[in-house]
Amino acid sequence: MSARGTVTAALALTVASLLLVMLGLCVGSAGWEPLTFAHESASAIVWEIRLPRTLGAWLAGALLALAGAVAQGLFRNPLADPYLLGSATGASLGVAVFLVGLGLWPGLAVGWALRWGMTGAAFVGAMGAVLITVALARGVQHTLRLLLAGVIVGMVLGALAALVMFHVPEVMRALQSFMLGTTAFIGWEAVHLMALGLALTGLVAWGLGRNLDALSLGESTAASLGVALGPVRMALVVTLALATGIAVAQVGLIAFIGLVAPHLVRSFARPTHRGLLPLSAATGGVLLLSADVIARWALAPQELPVGALTAVLGGGYLLWLMHRRSW
Amino acid sequence: MKAPAIQAQALRVARGGREVIPGLDLTVPAGCWTSIVGPNGAGKTTLLQALACLLPSQGRVLWQGREASRLSARERARQVAWLGQGEGGGEDLCAHDLVMLARLPHQAWLASPSATDLVAVQDAMRLTGSWEWRERSLGQLSGGERQRVLLARALAVQAPVLMMDEPLAHVDPPHQADWLALVRTHVRTGGTALTVLHELNLALQADTMLILQQGRVMHQGACADPATHRALERVFEQRIAVHAVGAHWVALPVPAADPG
Amino acid sequence: MAERVWRGWAMRLVLLALTGAGASHAVTLTDDRGARLTLTAPPQRIVSLLPSLTETVCALGACERLVAVDTHSNWPQAVRALPAVGGMDDAQVESILALRPDLVLAATSTRALARLESLGLKVLALEPRTLEDFRRVVGQLDRALGTSGGPALLQGVDAELAAAATALTSAQRGTRVYFEVSSAPYAASETSFIGQLLARVGAANVVPGALGPFPKLNPEFIVRADPQVVMISDRTSGDLSARPGWSGLRALREGRVCRFTPAQSDVLVRPGPRMAEGARLMVACIQGRIPAGRS
Repeated sequence: MSARGTVTAALALTVASLLLVMLGLCVGSAGWEPLTFAHESASAIVWEIRLPRTLGAWLAGALLALAGAVAQGLFRNPLADPYLLGSATGASLGVAVFLVGLGLWPGLAVGWALRWGMTGAAFVGAMGAVLITVALARGVQHTLRLLLAGVIVGMVLGALAALVMFHVPEVMRALQSFMLGTTAFIGWEAVHLMALGLALTGLVAWGLGRNLDALSLGESTAASLGVALGPVRMALVVTLALATGIAVAQVGLIAFIGLVAPHLVRSFARPTHRGLLPLSAATGGVLLLSADVIARWALAPQELPVGALTAVLGGGYLLWLMHRRSW
Repeated sequence: MKAPAIQAQALRVARGGREVIPGLDLTVPAGCWTSIVGPNGAGKTTLLQALACLLPSQGRVLWQGREASRLSARERARQVAWLGQGEGGGEDLCAHDLVMLARLPHQAWLASPSATDLVAVQDAMRLTGSWEWRERSLGQLSGGERQRVLLARALAVQAPVLMMDEPLAHVDPPHQADWLALVRTHVRTGGTALTVLHELNLALQADTMLILQQGRVMHQGACADPATHRALERVFEQRIAVHAVGAHWVALPVPAADPG
Repeated sequence: MAERVWRGWAMRLVLLALTGAGASHAVTLTDDRGARLTLTAPPQRIVSLLPSLTETVCALGACERLVAVDTHSNWPQAVRALPAVGGMDDAQVESILALRPDLVLAATSTRALARLESLGLKVLALEPRTLEDFRRVVGQLDRALGTSGGPALLQGVDAELAAAATALTSAQRGTRVYFEVSSAPYAASETSFIGQLLARVGAANVVPGALGPFPKLNPEFIVRADPQVVMISDRTSGDLSARPGWSGLRALREGRVCRFTPAQSDVLVRPGPRMAEGARLMVACIQGRIPAGRS
């Protein structure tokens, strides 16, 4: 009962999140720029641009970290990440196809198709990839088969995306920028969508928290404790796919957050999944928001690709962790 | 006469395309401890898993006269406590949380542990001597300590039937004795125990022994019965001999004949 | 009496209508996406996110109305002093909003299009890819900006193109050219804008249009086609003779390889008002006046 550790962690993460949000409101195209609403467009900049993308970064990080914690519990593998079932390459393929369509029919760049075209295509691609994986593994009965199917689907869809890029090289640059990840295009609608997604997937995952704990004991033991393996696994896969799909559609492919957040939580508390899931989400939010603020600040007005930054930071952390454990 | 705890009728189990158990009838009496023994590959683990309804099988498995497959998963979880062989995992949970998982079949979906649950967990952990390290995670414990936590988990379910597959892996002799006492207490208070053990000496301390060979029941009888001892020696091709030591029976390997 | 009052009112109404008509310059445009945009007055603060559009705006005489351009816009000299706010993939939404533009010119494939529109900015999406596109864009910009230099500009460009078209001697006409856009190799075929310019000056393109505007070719194709002249951008290519089989190319043996400088490449790839200069560069290359650099 490491309740004390859990509560401390929750408090620390809340404080960190609030501080980072305030920081995010002050970092803009000119670097450190706490706007004082002196001129009219200042209010628009802070409320319409900085606040939604700051909140969006936190929400996307939370979604990815939640998906990562679910993946690690479902597959009983500490190296599992949210993209295991092929959602990353599925989203890339979806965006590639959309960009090609946009080139062929510029009329797609209007109205709702413009607004939701790219994010919609990414989301459909991600969910479609998971669907194909589950179909390939013939259901969710065998975890190993699911993992293998995920790897295969990931590779095949990645190859298809590469073929699309080859055939229509004009989309290469746009696809690359999508894949590197950015929060620059997040508005209030995206924030509402991600908040809704987080609430939904978070609730379902939390409700299944004890089942995830039981699963960690092994499948026979979990079944002997009354866990309905099939339905529980399916629910977890759907939650994983949804959370990942929603996040990837809005911010692109951000590496490491889903992988690292649960481990970070475990390094300062030892909660069961009921505590691990919300703490992981909060940690993921803090991680991605920090990376986003750095990405906006370091070379303002240019923006570093946030996905590359999280990979560097996440990799650095893992290296440090390995170094510490070896002593 | 109490209804038998577990009955199998025409049980057939196939694994990986091969029929491991080609048709078996057996009765496990209630209120006593039955140990399942047999040479490697006899199908002991498969049989135990099939009796616990953890494997798909053909034929009927009856628990106290009722068809087990007709019960809900929760009811089944409350009837039989299962301890599997080599089922690791749960490395990141602290011992107390892990044992608390045993109370899952008794808890409502979103409820937090009740007082009953906490008492059950504490009792089980004290019985297995693992209460002192309840805050440590499994990854920090030795093999024997870990096994005792897992045993506590099985006990905390407080189910009338205990099914254990090689429960004494890595456990040292003093704690093996504790485990024996545990099982005896469980049986004395009306429970049933069904264990797969490869340590024949401990298996011979049970009430009844079930000898399995190539998926068939070769013999089922009291452990004190000489017929059982002979059947045991036969199944191991006379490479072991059963001797009386004080009030108990032990099986010792027969040394190979000296060539010189 | 009543008649005089009525006539007074009628006069006032007519005056109102006349002044109203003169003052309202409401222009409705349809951009390349098919979206309709209404401008009530000629825009005075313009952000351009495509270099060819920047050049066209300046050529129409509205250069001083630009408040920001994209990172690649570099002509005329005046726009280099303007703040650069990103490009097609990384337009800096916040910087653009802070400048309070009343018109944003972007390509149809600019990623920030939706975001800028949702923030209430007026966005005109134009993406000229061919000579005909350029003509259309000039007309639309002329209407949008309220300038009238469009027809003159087009006439001037046509005249210069015609002049460039006659520059090649009859012996030089039909010279077979290979234009490489980037090392992979990606070539410019007949259907691309570059291909159209080549056709105008009277050269022949070894890459047929059926392969698409910028096909990625097997280098063997170029060896077999054996072009007489190779046009290449200095930025992306390496040592041409190092490519297998290329040292035997006629163009390399005769030293007819033109390496365009970045400034020259910019002129060649943008369907803008400097296209005639691009045509002249091609003519210069065919006539052997562009240095080969290292090859």
